[in-house]
Amino acid sequence: MRYQPLLALSACALCAPAFATQYLSAEQAQQLMFPDATAFRPQPLALNAAQMQQIEKLSGLPARSVNWRVVGAFKGDALLGYMVLDDVTGKFELISYAVGLNPDATVKQVEVLTYRESHGGEIRLPAWRRQFVGKSAAGGGLTVGEGIANISGATLSCTHLTDGVRRIAAIGQVMLKK
Amino acid sequence: MKLNKKLIAVALGAAFLSAPLHAGASEKELKARMDKMAAELEELKAALKASMQKTAELEARQQQIVAAESNNASASTAAATAAATSAATATATSVATNVATTVATDVATARAETARSASGTILSGYGEINYNRPTKNASAAQTDIRRAVIAIEHRFDEKTKMVSEFEWEHGVVSASDQGESEIEQLYIERELNNGLRGKVGLFLIPSGLLNTNHEPTAYYGVERNFVETAIIPSTWREVGVGLSGDTAFGLTWDTGITTGFDLGKWDATSTEGRDSPLGSIHQEGQLAKSRDLAFHGALNWRGVPGLLLGGSVFSGKAGHNTEGFAANDARVTLYDLHARYTPGAWDLSALYARGQISNTEALNATFVGNPTPVPKSFAGWYTQAAYQLLKSGDYTLSPFVRYEQFNTAKSYAYVPQGLGVETGPDEKVTTVGANLKVGEGVVLKADYQKFKEDKSRDRLNLGMGFAY
Amino acid sequence: MRHLLSVLAATALLAGCSGGGGSSAPASPATPISNLSAAAQLGQKIFSDASLSASGRQSCASCHAPDHAFGPVNDLSAQPGGPNLDTPGFRAVPSLRYMEKTPAFFFAADGTPTGGFDRDGRAQSLAEQAQRPFLAPHEMANASKQDVVDKLKKAAYIAEFRALYGAGITDDAEQAFSRMTFALQAFEQEAPEFHPYDSKYDQFLAGKVQLSDAELRGLALFNNPQKGNCAACHPSARGADGASPLFTDFSFDNLGLPRNTRIPATADPAYFDLGLCGPDRTDLADRKDLCGAFKVPTLRNVATRKVFFHNGAFNTLKDALGFYVRRDTNPEEWYPAGADGVIVKFNDLPPEYRANVNTAEVPYNRKPGMAPALSAAEIDDVIQFLGTLTDGYQKP
Repeated sequence: MRYQPLLALSACALCAPAFATQYLSAEQAQQLMFPDATAFRPQPLALNAAQMQQIEKLSGLPARSVNWRVVGAFKGDALLGYMVLDDVTGKFELISYAVGLNPDATVKQVEVLTYRESHGGEIRLPAWRRQFVGKSAAGGGLTVGEGIANISGATLSCTHLTDGVRRIAAIGQVMLKK
Repeated sequence: MKLNKKLIAVALGAAFLSAPLHAGASEKELKARMDKMAAELEELKAALKASMQKTAELEARQQQIVAAESNNASASTAAATAAATSAATATATSVATNVATTVATDVATARAETARSASGTILSGYGEINYNRPTKNASAAQTDIRRAVIAIEHRFDEKTKMVSEFEWEHGVVSASDQGESEIEQLYIERELNNGLRGKVGLFLIPSGLLNTNHEPTAYYGVERNFVETAIIPSTWREVGVGLSGDTAFGLTWDTGITTGFDLGKWDATSTEGRDSPLGSIHQEGQLAKSRDLAFHGALNWRGVPGLLLGGSVFSGKAGHNTEGFAANDARVTLYDLHARYTPGAWDLSALYARGQISNTEALNATFVGNPTPVPKSFAGWYTQAAYQLLKSGDYTLSPFVRYEQFNTAKSYAYVPQGLGVETGPDEKVTTVGANLKVGEGVVLKADYQKFKEDKSRDRLNLGMGFAY
Repeated sequence: MRHLLSVLAATALLAGCSGGGGSSAPASPATPISNLSAAAQLGQKIFSDASLSASGRQSCASCHAPDHAFGPVNDLSAQPGGPNLDTPGFRAVPSLRYMEKTPAFFFAADGTPTGGFDRDGRAQSLAEQAQRPFLAPHEMANASKQDVVDKLKKAAYIAEFRALYGAGITDDAEQAFSRMTFALQAFEQEAPEFHPYDSKYDQFLAGKVQLSDAELRGLALFNNPQKGNCAACHPSARGADGASPLFTDFSFDNLGLPRNTRIPATADPAYFDLGLCGPDRTDLADRKDLCGAFKVPTLRNVATRKVFFHNGAFNTLKDALGFYVRRDTNPEEWYPAGADGVIVKFNDLPPEYRANVNTAEVPYNRKPGMAPALSAAEIDDVIQFLGTLTDGYQKP
């Protein structure tokens, strides 16, 4: 199931709509985030202790992993931005998602790749994901209740995903920002 | 021009001639540097070899783990493995041992995440212990292990899972004790090919805000609110089949056919029907009469982040064509409308619920003189506002206030000669208190409830709840 | 399982026989013989067999008349029996209808005595209850079980009896007698005329008929915990499992009834019938708190009766209900005055047990001068309602 422009979605709102749980692949996500890109190069990150501390200070969350899956998007030789892939747990199940970062470490886009919980699927809604756009770890506004609205009935999924985006924004700020 | 050319030629010649001299002067330096670099290179090669060996070992172990825990989240697992290997190869600057430990940590994390997503069994649960103290009658103070619940969710594969929830109420269950043990949920959910979700078994009816979201960490106040216990009989579950899905603009729909209520259970001599009309006649999958089934439908819209608007309806007959029963035509209908809005630190909600039981004239005629005939309608509503006041570390304090108004017998069917029971005024309850969340899964609560009609019920409540 | 086998065997055997032997058929509409088990069919015959008594003129049916809801036909406080039918009895005859759900006697979790047969709950089963009338001097007055069996051997249906229980059954008086009482129990349990559930009230519960205005008012007063509160011991509602109400909760109550001098035994001032604690029943003799308590009977078919309560103190429902509501507001209406002019309340109990009488529940919780729980007009309404509990109602 591909993500369609909102207009098309409203048009087929009447039909059995649905998002399946395996919803986007990483390749599809990077295309959505950087439609102008001509090349995608994997640029995995490994954090050292000092960097992890910085990230923790910036995001208020432990850095959690040393290694991060990052893909750089390039148009020719120009860097368009990065896409970071990650997984968080919702209430019980894993949520796979991707955060697109601009070169200045602000959030460009958030995409949900896999969502398997019975409730809280609304985190896939464009309107909810749009809340992250343009924000950075330093700038704030990436916490539920402080810039990101909760989804009634799916507080844990919301919170964990928001925390994940905030952590990635902090990683971007520390590791990727030019 | 000719002069310029000559000048440049001389300059270049001078430069060339001087170069070897310069070179000759630091030739030793260069050689030393080159030797040093060669040595360093040998070191790096050795380190790289060692780290690649370690990575290979870990990779092999990782493959074993993945094979044991099988299939699905291949994306994350593969990525994790790829990350591990790519990390090993990319860190020419890192020390080999450092790489090895961090890769191991990463593998451990990846493994934990894999465990969550692959087929497997998850144990979760919640509990609440409450203390109530009526302010005008300290002798009636009571502490109760209100509920202890264990939920087991088993995922068979990517598309199929089993959800179960087992509950014990009031601490001790035996023939001579007042506790109850019950099955709260027991169903299979399957994701269908077109993205819809199908359920079959004993599941929660999607009505109101509390019923499907009833963990103590999910609501404000020690006790569940009256409207969603007396009017909507939380925790309300039925046996049947359900289908749900969501649309692109944030609308979730949920519908199904299930067992319903048994009006034959109505006891006009007790007060149970007055406390909660539907609660006193629910079947909960216990040898449930099923001649009359019920359907339900719920719509919830979350198109705007932080806003929920929704409603539900449930309807089914309750007589089951029972031999010698005067209300075989009675139909129970319950509908609700609700909204929840969470801008910033605020959490605002409102709900209206109304239930109806039709065709109860003949049955109520047989109940004349008894205190609790079957109501024709019962309804209630509430508004609630909570504010996340303080957040310090993982402590979050959220005071709240709630006003609710409800009547479990708003009207009765006609009884001749004025022999029926008079309807009473709506009870109005104001609850003021706070939830103190400790981390994600623990909540301490305190509140004070004031009753407008029956002032003897005014009480102070304290509670502890958790959910994991 | 054994029951089933013996029934199957019996039916197989009976298939070969011609119809049953001649017996005095009960007057009320009886089931076609073939619907009852063999034991019940024998029980039906034994039930009406007057030859099994010392007088030769008294059977179970004499006092438990099938066309009077298996209750008494007259207003005598206690029916006479004995060899000449002139030995006076001690207690009023109850109806035998609706006994099939009565449990054996036990003490409930909260200590309430419950169940058992006879007015003092003495017998643990219908079979056990059936034993005493054969042998009691004031009832069928047989000298011994052997005496009864000897009479049985001369009955018309003895071949049927032997066919069911074995040819040698009558050689052992103990065994034969117990089979007789078992057959009576089977009859009482199986025969639909013992539990027809076809009163106007049953049809009203099913939503098929409406009660008249007075009857509905009477039901409301019957149920109302602040008025008659009758339903507290005589439940009128269908059970959660759909069971029809029996108008008894099988418990016991001490009403402090006035002494009935029409029972000859009361001439002896030392004679007291104390129900649960004796003298008939002996196993609870040390439970002095239970002295004076008698079984709550069913109110089904109560309107067919002319004698009420264990000692037949009253002969009309009007008096019985009047006693309930005015016992304490107007004791002079019910009890005699002592030598000093003071009304002796609860005079059918020795003074030391008068405190056992129920004075806490509505409607007995009044004092002289207070209004009774029901007015005269309300009593009439309740009587109208009680009339709907009579079996055999046909919608006009």
